[in-house]
Amino acid sequence: MSRAPMRRFAMLVDTPYIPASALEVEAQKAFEPPGAGPTFGRRFATLALRGGALAVFLGVLIVFSVTAPFFLTVGNIGNVLGQSAIAGVLAIGLTIVIIAGGSNVVTGGIDLSLAANMGLSAAVYATLAQAGHGDGVAIAGALGTGLAIGAVNAAAVTLAGIVPLLATLAVMNVVAGLELVLTQNTVVPASGAFLSTLSAGGPFGIPVLAYLLLGFTLAVAAIVQYTPLGLRLYAVGAFPDAARAAGLPVKTFVAGSFLASGLCGGLAGILSVSYLSGSTTGAGDMLLPVVVTALLGTVFSRRLVPTITGTLLSVLFVGFLINGFQLLNISSTLVSGVQGLLILLVVSATTVLGRKENV
Amino acid sequence: MIGTAGNGEAIIRLENIVKHFGGATALSGASLTVVRGSIHGLVGQNGAGKSTLIKLIAGLHRPDEGRLEIDGRSYDRLTPHLAEELGIHFIHQDRLLVPTFTVGEALFLGRELRFPGTPFLDRGAMRRKSAEVLERYFGLALPHSALIADLSAAEKQIVQITRALIANPKVLVFDEPTAALVRREADLLFQLIRRLSSEGVTILYISHYLGEIADLCDTVTVLRNGRDVATLPVAKTSAAEIGALMVNRDIGELYPKPAVTPGEVLLEVDNLALADRFDAVSFSLRKGEVLGFTGLVGSGAKEVVRTLFGLDRPTGGTVSVKGETVFCADPAAATDRHLALVPEDRRRDGVALDLSVTENTTLASLDRFSHGLIDRGAERRQTEDLVRRLQIKTDSVDALVKTLSGGNQQKVAIAKWLSRQSEIYLLDEPTTGVDIAAKVEIYRLIGELAERGAVVLVLSSDIEELLGVTDRVLVFFRGRVTRQFISSETSPDEVLADVTGAYETLRHAG
Repeated sequence: MSRAPMRRFAMLVDTPYIPASALEVEAQKAFEPPGAGPTFGRRFATLALRGGALAVFLGVLIVFSVTAPFFLTVGNIGNVLGQSAIAGVLAIGLTIVIIAGGSNVVTGGIDLSLAANMGLSAAVYATLAQAGHGDGVAIAGALGTGLAIGAVNAAAVTLAGIVPLLATLAVMNVVAGLELVLTQNTVVPASGAFLSTLSAGGPFGIPVLAYLLLGFTLAVAAIVQYTPLGLRLYAVGAFPDAARAAGLPVKTFVAGSFLASGLCGGLAGILSVSYLSGSTTGAGDMLLPVVVTALLGTVFSRRLVPTITGTLLSVLFVGFLINGFQLLNISSTLVSGVQGLLILLVVSATTVLGRKENV
Repeated sequence: MIGTAGNGEAIIRLENIVKHFGGATALSGASLTVVRGSIHGLVGQNGAGKSTLIKLIAGLHRPDEGRLEIDGRSYDRLTPHLAEELGIHFIHQDRLLVPTFTVGEALFLGRELRFPGTPFLDRGAMRRKSAEVLERYFGLALPHSALIADLSAAEKQIVQITRALIANPKVLVFDEPTAALVRREADLLFQLIRRLSSEGVTILYISHYLGEIADLCDTVTVLRNGRDVATLPVAKTSAAEIGALMVNRDIGELYPKPAVTPGEVLLEVDNLALADRFDAVSFSLRKGEVLGFTGLVGSGAKEVVRTLFGLDRPTGGTVSVKGETVFCADPAAATDRHLALVPEDRRRDGVALDLSVTENTTLASLDRFSHGLIDRGAERRQTEDLVRRLQIKTDSVDALVKTLSGGNQQKVAIAKWLSRQSEIYLLDEPTTGVDIAAKVEIYRLIGELAERGAVVLVLSSDIEELLGVTDRVLVFFRGRVTRQFISSETSPDEVLADVTGAYETLRHAG
């Protein structure tokens, strides 16, 4: 669509009328609005960001495997996977909400109640188990708790129309309070055959939790990245008007995403009970790492959008970072600093790119 | 052309539709009958009720009164989903496509292709099928990996039209489809519409461009003030006749325009250009003159105003104020040259709603009222003076601007610049959203500004209004000034014909 050089007319005010024939050529050319055409700069920057992220990931792995002797053993990698399982399940839940709500950090999809959800679900599980109920009841209790919290979030966002940031912040406080009421702020120990199976080692000396994380990621990724349902989820989040014009029930999708993330919170609760042999306080500390992880995941996708596999990579990246610091005897408190730095980088990079796209 | 109308059976019939939004009446007894197989044009000025009518057919609004029939069946509760099931598809003016999707994903969203027997998306098939239909309908080949965000406006429009086509529509409604297309693409679109029509698809075509209507449609319905004033066969009607039907003639002494003898030249614009927006715009304005700008969206009229005020950087030409060439790189520089802009979106850009009348009035001229601290007394005296002169109706100068009526808010927006002693007033759609009485007061105010020796440039799409308040009117069409009118020596329909490019049709006819 190359533009022919414009012919100029002396369009003086005194000229009363330009005959139509003189304008013929020009009138046929509508002016293109700005921002049209492929934006190679943006694509290049996207590639650079994505490539850079992968390079940093690989670089970290290489540095650690050279400096820390055990880093690159199957056992250690399995450990990292296992230790990342809880954060991974939560981050995947959050990713679903971000996809359906849009990735605007302030007005888009976010679920701040996820970590508290995990805490309460774990407490429900441990309390039920301690009261002598079987594994089935305890599992149903934990998942039901998660789902109920998701339903409250969904109602607050889609029925009451509160922005997710505020709605889930409020729910987070309520849920954290309920957990304190239930556990009296103490550790509730729990054990049983089911929990032992979860926390045991699996084939190749890799923990069961690691297999769980991979299996869960695969299943969710299959739905979100490879089914029509997932595609519609993206449409709803990225451009609600377009989704509506395509006949999609936008609010149902958003509500569904909160239910899914609530369920993830319940599942993470069960995993945490098995990992810690009971419910403990302080689940809320998980919130920030999980948000960081989910946001960081966008740099691992071609289109700079949140993806399930991107979130898994990001979970593993953070997991390996913590693990490597431990192996090198570097204070793990540095990790949160590194995480903070990463989030700043990622959010500013995607914001700048997004801005270019919208002009 | 009439031959394609088939057996004359109505596929869409709207009868005496009335629709109110709050206090405003959008439609007051409009009827429309679209015959199966026809290409039916729908025209009308801004606010005539076109988009409301379309939204009723789309199931986005429900009529307050009247009857809506599709295929001979009456529908009280039409929903977007139901409209689509009945085979009515819309090509909206806005390009409703997800920017992060590939072309294939965007085309098939909502009716995705799957691997047979599985719940999984067949992206390969969607890509192949979309490449095939784009090639077949438009001869357009897009790269496989292209995302919607990478496409040009025209390509997006084509993707949007293709989206409707793969649904095998019975009725296609086009809402201003060529606004983003260049002529070659528009021609392709017209060919396509004719082909679809010959295949039995009914077309409802809404456009500002009367030339397009004349080229394409067999029947045209003209809307004015929420009513259908005529439905005519295009072959027997000239574009000028259609234009004449679109405008009101019966407006009396709405325009209290004083006779002002022009003084020296205050503003001179020579060959001003902004790449891809407008080109070769020249005019000069003497003290006391009121000049009108008009044109369709994208015609360049608004962009010229923005450029004069330093909101856009011109790519050519000069602007002189009082004989001195000036370069306004930003609005601050423009206001220093005594330019004043009263923007169209008054509530967002024109006034600060949560500040008082006084604070708004002195906002642009605070330097005059402050010596380190703001001199509240001087501020107040100035505001009281302006409130009296402009007859701004407010309980007190301390009242918040959001408590004022729309017309009075607009006066505050103008008072702000009077307080700064501006001399060149750029008014962008100054009477949108205000009632008729307030309009008349704003017209009087424009006259007063001129009497006081200011220069006023009014941009408006309301042509009767424009002819009423200005001395001269420049018509913009696709980035150029195509004609100049002396306001007192012309009629609204004559101007409208140029605004809508009807001369293109006249040329075809002649």
